[in-house]
Amino acid sequence: MEEQQEVEQFMVPIGPQHPALKEPGHFLITVDGEIVTNAVVRLGYAHRGIEKATEERNWVRNLYLLERICGICSHIHATAYCLGLERLAEVEAPPRAQAIRVLVAELERIHSHMLWLGVAAHEAGFDSLFMYSWRDRETVMDLLENLTGNRVNYSANVLGGVKCDIDIVQADTIFMALEFLQERTRHYLDVVTSDAMFLQRTRGIGVMTRLQAEVLGVVGPTARASGVHRDIRAEAPYSAYPSYPVRVVCEEKGDLEARFVVRINELFESYRIIRLILEDLPPGELREKMPRRIREGETVSRVEAPRGELFYFIKSNGTDKPERIKVRTPTICNMMSVVKLAIGHQLADVPMILAGIDPCFSCNDRMIILERSHAKQEVWSWERLRQHGIEYYHGNHS
Amino acid sequence: MRFATMLSDVLPSLFKSPMTEMYPFERKEPPVHLRTLPSWKLEDCTGCGLCAMDCPSQAIEMIVLDKKAKRFVMCFHVDRCTFCAQCIYSCRQGCLEMTPENWELATLNKNALTLYYGDRVDVEEVLATAASSKDAQTTAG
Amino acid sequence: MEIIRDLIALLFFPSGLVLLVLSLFYEWVDRKLLAQFQNRIGPRWFQPFADVIKLLAKEEVIPQGVDRRLFIPLPIVGLAGVLTAAIYVPIMGMAPSHSFKGDLIVTVYLLSLLTLCMGLAGSNTIGRFSLVGATRTLTQLFSYEAPFLLALLGPAIVAGSWQISEITAYTENRWLLLTQPFGFLVALIGLMGKLELPPFDAPEAETEIVAGALTGYSGRGLALFHLGKGVEMLIGLTLIAAFYLGGVSNPLLFFVKTLALLLIMAGLQALLARLRIDQTVGVWWRYGALLVLVQWMVIIVSKGPVL
Ligand code: SF4
Ligand code: SF4
Repeated sequence: MEEQQEVEQFMVPIGPQHPALKEPGHFLITVDGEIVTNAVVRLGYAHRGIEKATEERNWVRNLYLLERICGICSHIHATAYCLGLERLAEVEAPPRAQAIRVLVAELERIHSHMLWLGVAAHEAGFDSLFMYSWRDRETVMDLLENLTGNRVNYSANVLGGVKCDIDIVQADTIFMALEFLQERTRHYLDVVTSDAMFLQRTRGIGVMTRLQAEVLGVVGPTARASGVHRDIRAEAPYSAYPSYPVRVVCEEKGDLEARFVVRINELFESYRIIRLILEDLPPGELREKMPRRIREGETVSRVEAPRGELFYFIKSNGTDKPERIKVRTPTICNMMSVVKLAIGHQLADVPMILAGIDPCFSCNDRMIILERSHAKQEVWSWERLRQHGIEYYHGNHS
Repeated sequence: MRFATMLSDVLPSLFKSPMTEMYPFERKEPPVHLRTLPSWKLEDCTGCGLCAMDCPSQAIEMIVLDKKAKRFVMCFHVDRCTFCAQCIYSCRQGCLEMTPENWELATLNKNALTLYYGDRVDVEEVLATAASSKDAQTTAG
Repeated sequence: MEIIRDLIALLFFPSGLVLLVLSLFYEWVDRKLLAQFQNRIGPRWFQPFADVIKLLAKEEVIPQGVDRRLFIPLPIVGLAGVLTAAIYVPIMGMAPSHSFKGDLIVTVYLLSLLTLCMGLAGSNTIGRFSLVGATRTLTQLFSYEAPFLLALLGPAIVAGSWQISEITAYTENRWLLLTQPFGFLVALIGLMGKLELPPFDAPEAETEIVAGALTGYSGRGLALFHLGKGVEMLIGLTLIAAFYLGGVSNPLLFFVKTLALLLIMAGLQALLARLRIDQTVGVWWRYGALLVLVQWMVIIVSKGPVL
C-alpha cells in the first residue's frame, strides 16, 4: 500500500495539439485510473495580438480585423464594435439597419449553435448526429451567403449601418428555410433528450449548480443551463432588441443535457425573432454617415454572442485610430468552469465537459502583464509582443 | 429513454443520394449578392485613395500617375482580398462594384492574382517601372 | 505437393493475399455504408488500398521509450494470428482448408491474439494516450470475450461438435437465427466490440485519447494492425453468417449473407453513440452475459443433457 502512494501521479496532457481540440489549448489532467483528480488549463497558443494591432489601423479597417477575432461569431464582434463606436461618435444607425443587424446576429446564433451541436455530438462519439446537424446547418449558411454575399465572415456591418438589404424574395427564402430548420430542430431536441445511449453521456454529467455558476462567473447558455437568468439581449437590450423582445431560455439542472436543451431551445427563440423581424421590418435608410475621426472619449459595449456576453471597451483619442480596444470574449469567463467541473469525472467525460461550454480558443487568448511595482509604466511595441509570444510558446515545452 | 432515435434519419438515407455536392461536375447558381471580384470604373474615379485606405487587407493599391489627366492605375491583389465589400462603400463616386460573376478565382499561377485596372498605356507604364525597380533590386542584391 | 498446397493456403487463398484484398474491400463497404447512412458520399473504392499502400511506404517512427523487441514483432504476430485463423474458416464459401477437432476455440483465440497484441503494443510505450488506450483495449477484451465466445458456442452445442466444418455442415440451411436470436445478437454486437467499432470505440476514442493503444505506431506497424483488423472483421462476419444465417456453402451465399450482416453493423454504428469504458463493461456483463446465458439455458433445456 505504501508503495502505491509513492507512485507518481499519472498525467494526461491534452493539447495544444489534440484531435479533441480543433484549436490549441493545453489541459493537464491528473487521473487516478479513469477518474480525474485534478485539471490545469493553460491558454495563449492562439494569441494573435489583435488588440494591439487595432491601434495601428484606422477605425474602418479595424471593423474587419475585429470581425476576425472569431470565425463563428464574427458578426457579433463587428456589431459590438459598431454599436460602441456609433455611441462614441453620436451617430445612430437607422432602424432598418439595426433590425438587419439583429437578424444576421440571430442567423449567426443558429449557425453557431448548430455547429456546436455537431461538435458536441462528435465528442460524445455520436457521429450521425454530428453529420446531420452539420448538414442542416448548411441551410443557414446558405441563407447568410444569400443575404450578405459571404459564408463566414459576412461583413454585414459598416460603421453607421449595414451593407445588405432584404427584399421580399429573400424574406421568403428565409421563411421557408426556417420552416425546415424548425422541424429538424424539434427532431434534434427529441434526440438529445431521449436517446438512451447519448443520455448516458450527458445526463448528470458536469453538473454545475446555480451557486457555482454565479461564483465562477460563467456566461451565456452555460450559465442559463444552470438556472442563471443572464442574457444581455433581455437585460440591456441593444440595437433592435427593444422592439423584438427576447425570452430568456433557462434550465435548472445544470448538467450537460441541460446545456444541450438550452442551446436547442435558443434556436427556437432565434427562429421566432427572425420571423418577427421579417414580418415587420422598419422601412428607411440602411446607412448613416460616419465621421472618419471619432471624438475623444471612451465607451463600453456589451452584446450577447452565441457563447455568452461579449464585452468591448473602446477608447478614442480623437484621431482616426483607436487608442485602446479591449475585448473580453465569453469563453474566457467559462473556461475555469471546465477545470472545476472535470474533477471527479471520468477522463472520457472531459472532452464532453469542455465541449459543453462551447469553447472558442482563439477569441479567448489575451495577454495581461501584471507588474508588481506600480511605479513603471510601459507600452509594449508590436515586436516586443511578438517576441513574448514566441518565448511563451517555447517556455511551455522546455 | 429510447434507443436508435436517429433511425428516422439514418434509414431513409440509405435510399437517398448523398447531400455532398460534386462540385466541379455540378455547379450551383451563385447567390445574387455573392461578393466576388470588385470591378472598377475609371471614368468616375477621382484618385482619392479612400478605397485603398479602408481596405482591411491592403488588396488595393491606387497608383496615381497624373491626377489632373486622370491617369490612375488600380493594382488589385485578388489573393489578399477578403471580399468584405468595404471598398464599395468607401468610394464616394461609386466606381467600385461587385457582381456575382467570375467567382471561381482559384488558379495555379500566383501572378494571375495581381490585376491591373486602368488605361492600357498607363498600366504598361506602371508595369515597366515595377520591372525596372525589380531589376535594380536584383542587381543590388 | 502437400507443402505447395499448404503454402498456397497460407499465402494466397484462403489466407494470405486474397483474404487481405477481400478484407480491404469489406472495409470499403463498411465505410461507404456508414457514409450512406449519414447522408455523406464516403470514400471511393480504392481508398482503403491507398491508405494501406501509403502507410506501407512511409517511414516507421519508433518512439522513445519503447522496447524494440516488442514494438516491431507485435503487429506481425497480430496479423499472423488472424491470418492463421482464416484457414479454419469457410472464407468465400469454400470449405476450410484445414480442420481439426476444437478448431473453433483456436480460431476465436487467434482473433483475440490481435487484440492482445494491440494491448501489449499500447502498454509498451510511455505515451499517455497509448497507456490509457491499452488499458481500455484490454478491459474491453475481458468484457466482451466471454459472452462472444459463449454466443459462438451456442451453435456448436446444438451441432454437437466444436469443429467449424462440422458445425457449418449442421447449420447448412438451418437458420439458427430463428432458434437462437439472443446468441446471434450477442455474437454480432460482440464482433463490433472486438473490432472497436462505435459504440464500443472507447479504446480508440479520438476525441479523448487520439488513437488509443496504437498512437505510437506509424507506417508499416500501423498498416499491419489495420490489415489485421480488416481480416478479423471478415472472419467474424463469416463465422456469424455460417453459424446463424443458414451457412455459406457457396460464394454467392457468402457474399450476400456477410454483406447483409455488414449492413446491419454499419447501421448500428450510425445509430449508437459511444459508450464510456465503464459503461461498456456494464453493458457486457449486465446484459450481454445474461442474454447469452439465457440462450444457453434454453438450448440445454430443449436439447437435454449435452456433452
Ligand atoms: S472587398 Fe474588402 S478586402 Fe477586398 S478590396 Fe474591397 S475592401 Fe479590400
Ligand atoms: S475611393 Fe473611389 S474615387 Fe477614390 S480612388 Fe478609390 S475608386 Fe477612385
